[in-house]
Amino acid sequence: MKKVLSLTLALLMVLSLAACGGSKKEEAPAPTGGDAPAAEGFVPDKTVTWICTSSAGGGSDIFTRKIGEIMTNDDLVGGQTIVVSNETDGSGEVGRNKVATMKNDADYTLLTFNSGDLMPMVTNTKNRSSNFRILAIMAVDKQLMFSCPASDSKTDYAKNGGDQGDFAAAIEAAKNGTFVVIGGSKGDDITTYNKLLEEVGLTEQQMGYITYDSTSDAITAALGGNVDFVISKPAAASQYVESGDLTPVLALANERYAGNLSDAPTLSEIGDYENVEVPVWRGVAAPAAMSDAAVAYWSDVLGKVSTSDAWHSEYLEKNQLIDEYKDTAAATEYVTTYEADYMAANGLS
Amino acid sequence: MENISALLSGFQVVLTPENIGVCMLGAVLGLIVGAMPGIGSLAGVALLLPLTYKFNPTTAIIMLGALYYSNMYGGSFSAILLNIPGDSPAITTALDGYPMAKKGRPGQALVAANTASFIGGTIGILILTCTASGLANLGLKFGYAEMTLVLLIAMTSISWLIGENPIKGIVITMLGILVASIGMDTLTGAPRYDFGSMYLLGGIPFTPFVIGCVGFAQVIKLINERAADEKQRQGEERNVKLSIKDSMLTKHDFRRILPPILRSGILGTFVGVLPGSGATTGSMMGYAMQKKFKSEEPMGTGAIEGIAASEAANNAAAAGAFAPLLALGIPGSGTGAVLLGGLMMWGLNPGPLLFDSNPEFCWGLISSLYLANIFTLLVAILVIPFLIKILSVPVKYMIPIITCVCIVGAYSTSNSMYGVMVMFVSGIVGYLLEKNGFPTAPMLLAFVLAPMLEKNMRKAFIASQGSLKVFADSPLKVVLLAIFLILIFTPIVKNILRKSKAKKTAASV
Repeated sequence: MKKVLSLTLALLMVLSLAACGGSKKEEAPAPTGGDAPAAEGFVPDKTVTWICTSSAGGGSDIFTRKIGEIMTNDDLVGGQTIVVSNETDGSGEVGRNKVATMKNDADYTLLTFNSGDLMPMVTNTKNRSSNFRILAIMAVDKQLMFSCPASDSKTDYAKNGGDQGDFAAAIEAAKNGTFVVIGGSKGDDITTYNKLLEEVGLTEQQMGYITYDSTSDAITAALGGNVDFVISKPAAASQYVESGDLTPVLALANERYAGNLSDAPTLSEIGDYENVEVPVWRGVAAPAAMSDAAVAYWSDVLGKVSTSDAWHSEYLEKNQLIDEYKDTAAATEYVTTYEADYMAANGLS
Repeated sequence: MENISALLSGFQVVLTPENIGVCMLGAVLGLIVGAMPGIGSLAGVALLLPLTYKFNPTTAIIMLGALYYSNMYGGSFSAILLNIPGDSPAITTALDGYPMAKKGRPGQALVAANTASFIGGTIGILILTCTASGLANLGLKFGYAEMTLVLLIAMTSISWLIGENPIKGIVITMLGILVASIGMDTLTGAPRYDFGSMYLLGGIPFTPFVIGCVGFAQVIKLINERAADEKQRQGEERNVKLSIKDSMLTKHDFRRILPPILRSGILGTFVGVLPGSGATTGSMMGYAMQKKFKSEEPMGTGAIEGIAASEAANNAAAAGAFAPLLALGIPGSGTGAVLLGGLMMWGLNPGPLLFDSNPEFCWGLISSLYLANIFTLLVAILVIPFLIKILSVPVKYMIPIITCVCIVGAYSTSNSMYGVMVMFVSGIVGYLLEKNGFPTAPMLLAFVLAPMLEKNMRKAFIASQGSLKVFADSPLKVVLLAIFLILIFTPIVKNILRKSKAKKTAASV
């Protein structure tokens, strides 16, 4: 019983120690305001809420928290605290609608807004990008097609001796009646797949697509030989390429990638096709009711984040993203065009 | 042998005072988080992830690993004592755990759950240690057709829960499937049954739905039966004083739970390794398998074997899920995905190279699971006497307390009132169903399994272009298919035989 008691005591001590440590970390930084940015008219004087419509731990969440961290660490927001709120109801539509229609606190609310958020939003709801103020685009990502030639042959194409390392051969096989199957995640990857299909002149019955909840699920499927090819951004597949499990077979971009992805040809290199490139962007939006002064302020602060060392070394390089900051004017134009193109391509109005 | 020496070096990493400390902390927090309905391991790990950024990665993952692990213990507490599963794998624990607690053996039910968790988990960790990357590759062999068959087999477990009236059972199962299909189609992204509501676009969230159907329905029932309960309580007031000693299992109990634990431990590990299945499927398969074996009391009426089978399987599955996570960078569950996100934040690249590039990290994590397992068992058994006091709290105090717990749990899934609304509605519906003889357990199981079945089956059909051959073109598939068909047809054939026998005897008489 003594041992039990001492163990309990030890546990209690550990707990209380941890509690102390925890509370220290959560203390809000004291408002210094010394190095506050010079944008006129608006400086935040209370806590800022940043809504992320994806769940904690995912790509969008990491993007959001990283920017928030840099803003606080580099003292870009007048010493205010940024609270990230993950609002995932209705696949994120509820959170996006809330921001779009927000009247109070509009100057103190930010929203992570990516191409992967825009596509389901315009498809399934009446919400449009014009209901937001687009503050900035922070980074752009492109995709590649990978395959795992060493996997078990479970697909028609692999069973019929098709070479999963050669996309040109797969296009030919598909035209001659062998079913080829591609995997990828929702949103961005489907758009790219549809563009690719259109460009090479195949139908869904010849070259099918299986949707996964996430890119990592799709890569798993490729490793298990359940799909012939998988569409992925460089970051998610990088480790597998290094270990030799995945082979990059096609760059879905206008030019080849660098480094260990340089072996993958673009579409125009493997046949008489145009290159297929669907930029995947990550941006920040705000309620339509945000004041012009606040819009200018946030766009400026996000610009400062995009030039910081931490942003380059801890985010862009690590995730192999392309640095592409656009300020509010450029970003608004870009997103509007993107939305119009997407809606036209999918027959939405 | 190589693995054993690697494991020993892993222990060297873990056995520093700092790492032991965080491991214990993780175990305690996990137990608390797991015991709170609604805050499952996913939310627990996600909430604590930021706390660990300041640690070095090995220490951080040890804490999170311990937390994830001990969560599986905690989930059974509220399931057994309040009939509110703390997390989804505990649904099957509640089926026998709560009746057993009602029978006046809450202590033994909790100890049985913890013992099963411990042994099942140990089996899982041992298998993980010995095979590590090999196990993960085994998981990859499973294609969609195989997964579809495994899920069909899991679905047959529902038939055991249907109760006396098969038609009502089927109706309620269908209702579960229908509710599960609300939201976006997982393959095409097309909205289903959203009735123009933005909220329904994301589907019915699982946790509030379960808390409502089971927990809040329970509250309504308590309100109705309050008077009767109070009278009954006066009679047995003095019997509820229980110590650890009184909660210990008898030799006979232990002999009853050992075989199901061993079976479920092995099965659970394997289910945990399969991509995207996780602890919930593990515990359901374990429970369903136990139905096929003899139990002293009928399952669902407080059989200690049922608790053991489902708890052992879910802990083993939690351990098994680490194999694909570490060896291939594939998360076996939502929690795994959050852990994976954490790994990336610490600058580690989870993926096939992790075992080679960061062996001290991988093996440190695996050896920390051994420690976490022991710590959690100790802590869990120590708190049992305090937990049991919950049962002696009069109903009039329990009603508001459980209601609060339900609301908090439902709110915390997505930090919004939507979860609370879903909880209340499903609670009322759940109560009305239960009152009219519709058992809710089949609905919950169908709700969990149907979307997985749909996803895998449709993927199998896309890849095969609609051909049914895909379900029978390899030995593994044929075996799985045979198991499924045997499960389906045995009762029918038995029935026919019995009838013809009855006819014969009737004719001869």
